[in-house]
Amino acid sequence: MSSLFSWLTKSRALLSPSVTPCLTCGKRNPGSSQFPGVCRNCVESIPWIRSPRCLKCGRHVGCPDCTRSSEPSPIICNRSAVAYTRVMREWLGQYKYRGNERYAPLLGLMLDRAYLTLKKEKQSALLSRKPSIIHRSWSADLLVPVPVSDSRLMERGFNQAERLADVLSRCRKIPQLPLLIRTHHTGKQSFKSRAERLADMKHAFAENPAVTTQFADWLNREVPLNRPVRIIIVDDIYTTGSTIRACAEIIQQVGSDYGYAVEVYSLTWARS
Amino acid sequence: MRAAVYALECRGIWSILISLDFTVDRWWWSGAGPERQGRGLVTVDKLVLLSPALPLGWAVKLRDYFKQRDGMRNWGAKEWGQYVSSVLEPELKEEREAGGKGEEELLSERVSLWRLSGQREIFIEQSRENSDCRSYSRGNDLDYALLESEVEQLVHAVAGRSLLQPEIEALLAEGLPELTGRWRQAAQLAHLQGRLELTAAVGSPAPAAHGAWARQLPAGAGALARAAARLPHVLWRGAVARRAVSRCLRCGSAPTGRTACAACGLMGCAYCEACLALGRSRACALLLRSAALPAVRCTAALDPTAAAGRWGLSPAQAGAAGAALVFLAERSERPANSCPERFLLWAVTGAGKTEMIFPLLEAVLAAGGRALVATPRRDVVLELAPRLAKAFPAETLAVLYGGSAERWVSGRLTLATTHQLLRFHRAFDLVIIDELDAYPYHNDPMLAYAAEQACKVDGSFIYLSATPPHEMQRLVRSGRLPHARVPVRFHGHPLPVPQHLSMISIQTCLKRGNLPRSIIHTLRKSLEREAQIFCFVSRIAHIEGLLVLLRRSFPGVVIEGTSSKDSFRAEKVTAFRDRAISLLVTTTILERGVTVPRSDVFILDADSDLFDEASLVQMAGRAGRSKDDPAGRVVFASPQWTRSQRGAISQIRTMNIIARRKGYISKEAPR
Repeated sequence: MSSLFSWLTKSRALLSPSVTPCLTCGKRNPGSSQFPGVCRNCVESIPWIRSPRCLKCGRHVGCPDCTRSSEPSPIICNRSAVAYTRVMREWLGQYKYRGNERYAPLLGLMLDRAYLTLKKEKQSALLSRKPSIIHRSWSADLLVPVPVSDSRLMERGFNQAERLADVLSRCRKIPQLPLLIRTHHTGKQSFKSRAERLADMKHAFAENPAVTTQFADWLNREVPLNRPVRIIIVDDIYTTGSTIRACAEIIQQVGSDYGYAVEVYSLTWARS
Repeated sequence: MRAAVYALECRGIWSILISLDFTVDRWWWSGAGPERQGRGLVTVDKLVLLSPALPLGWAVKLRDYFKQRDGMRNWGAKEWGQYVSSVLEPELKEEREAGGKGEEELLSERVSLWRLSGQREIFIEQSRENSDCRSYSRGNDLDYALLESEVEQLVHAVAGRSLLQPEIEALLAEGLPELTGRWRQAAQLAHLQGRLELTAAVGSPAPAAHGAWARQLPAGAGALARAAARLPHVLWRGAVARRAVSRCLRCGSAPTGRTACAACGLMGCAYCEACLALGRSRACALLLRSAALPAVRCTAALDPTAAAGRWGLSPAQAGAAGAALVFLAERSERPANSCPERFLLWAVTGAGKTEMIFPLLEAVLAAGGRALVATPRRDVVLELAPRLAKAFPAETLAVLYGGSAERWVSGRLTLATTHQLLRFHRAFDLVIIDELDAYPYHNDPMLAYAAEQACKVDGSFIYLSATPPHEMQRLVRSGRLPHARVPVRFHGHPLPVPQHLSMISIQTCLKRGNLPRSIIHTLRKSLEREAQIFCFVSRIAHIEGLLVLLRRSFPGVVIEGTSSKDSFRAEKVTAFRDRAISLLVTTTILERGVTVPRSDVFILDADSDLFDEASLVQMAGRAGRSKDDPAGRVVFASPQWTRSQRGAISQIRTMNIIARRKGYISKEAPR
């Protein structure tokens, strides 16, 4: 009797559709079609930033930092996919600190949404300025991931910004170049105050000598002459923007060294 | 990470070793070390550096799968290079398929041969002219005396541990900050001395270790798997060859992830997703384990009755504890075989299990051994910690759970959640697992593996449970698992036997908007005798609706509901304990641990699939636990009478019968 019962249970399990547990909540709910591996409930609860309140830094709530500072920013604007809520922090933690790399495609595809938002914004701006150009669509020319230090890379095994840029690069056919290196290890940003971060970031990055010729080649071959080069810096999270600004300054510098005007944007997965 | 790999000829016998710091190895094998004197000089004839930096997983494979071949003595750099590529053939192929670098780049072909004679080291040849093998420092800049003392410190600090690199670094940062950043040399020397095992955290166990797997299978593993593991050697090897099983050596799971890794430079570096919560274990991650020490011998002289008197045990408790003590003592008389032996203490709910483990811990500690009490549940750890500290005031007690501050404290007495056992290796003479049938330990092979790894190979296991899993009950019945039963509660009264109440399902009640008169009547009787009521339901979604119906039927009675999704759960449980709540509607989360002096238990929808026999017995075990009110009521309310309900009642009755037969029932409750 007992064996018959267990046999029946097993055969029923064979016949019923297999639902893999959700990556983020572990429950066997129906999966989402846009984000493979994640259930619909989890996808519905993603705190997307659909229309940012601050057009400069892409924040979903009012942003005193951007309104306060009057100095010119090295980036045109930042856009982020989601607000950095408790759940999003947990997702990023799972990926970055725990090393669950199954999150990489999910986070990458989410970043792609932010890219589409940016693209749409820019396109409508282009259209309103020159309605004649209908088929000219806005698109970025190059992705540059924010680098991590060598010791962190050895410890973690991957650079999360580079992996995010990988996904975007494949989806949107935009080339990616590791144009920057981290010159010194700044320690975990999450333990520092705003002032400390700003001071630390001043000399944390430099041009990556290994890709200089590659970059020069690319500039000569691919870049349209009638407009500035559009470069997007990719990172996982935008908190004070000090990392992004430090990177952007170097990219501006490198661009002008080659005699090109560069528009630097930034795209991050989350905005705190 | 990457590690150096070298082959070595020692009195005509070749072996391959890995190194975290090659300068230490050169110093060691050149025979110059001061502590070699007196140990007899080992003459190394030839040393072949196969690679200065190979992905750790590959280096370990070269070491573990090494087989001596004829003529190795005459091999040159080219032959050794070919040997390396032939052993790593499958890995190289996988890497090519994953889109990684080619063989030339990965193996870097920097094989170099050396002849060692006494203090001198004569370079013979190397495979690539322009490479810089010769520039390795001779190791003369090592401070041997300092290194020796560091080895002692390190070996002491990691005794009984199984640690990944970040964990080693965290442990050292806390205990030996002067070693942080320089521990590799010390670890390498300790490894050469045979005091530390260095291996890759994910990999195939060495082929010689076949069969060990069979013994490591938990009691819950299927009969088929165990039969397969007992297959003759030849068949077994065939199976291994077909499916090179790679495992996470820390948790025993098959690694399911594979990604590009900056630390070893491979495109397909495997990692384990099962034990991610305790740091990532991957194919190129270093797993450092201390070499196993033999278990201590427990003296048979420890008198069970004296021990029982000292700890204030009831006759039933004393009987079971005595049987366990005899098991421990006999264990040490038997010749050491290669896996720990097990013993089950099957004690009914409310039997007083904690008191029973005290004499066992005492026996092991008195013999100079290390003991571990592990439980799947964190709240049990927190509840047990002060009691253990009070019982053994002279011992340092390490209390380990996710997020505890004492992560790297080591004591002879350790109390931990079962997940923490992943960080131990052959550390304990006695491992006691409490509530082994509780989530998440039950049905998790990873935790069973961790527990097995934490125990010394000639140590002992004692399981505690009120409701052992079926597999274990079968072993008990067939006499293959030594055990002792405690069939009665500490107060000497029989267990309350559940009554069945036929009742429509909660779903229907909620739809109709009222509760049947029979259940209201029964609940009222309990409230009239001023008992507090546990009301178990199968679904969280039913709690809210049921609360409305109950509050309408019993105005003036404090009725609350809680579940795993309730953020005020802890507060409500405390209020229930303090008698501020009279009726608590809840799910199986409260089936264990919560003890209320005068309580009755109602299980609604007792025929639900979510209530198995074990959980019904556990829930029923919430009633009648106090000696002032030993005859609590237990009601199974359900439309159908199921096997689980029948099984639970028969289990409770059997225990009562055994208790009566043995004369443990001191007072029959008035009926």
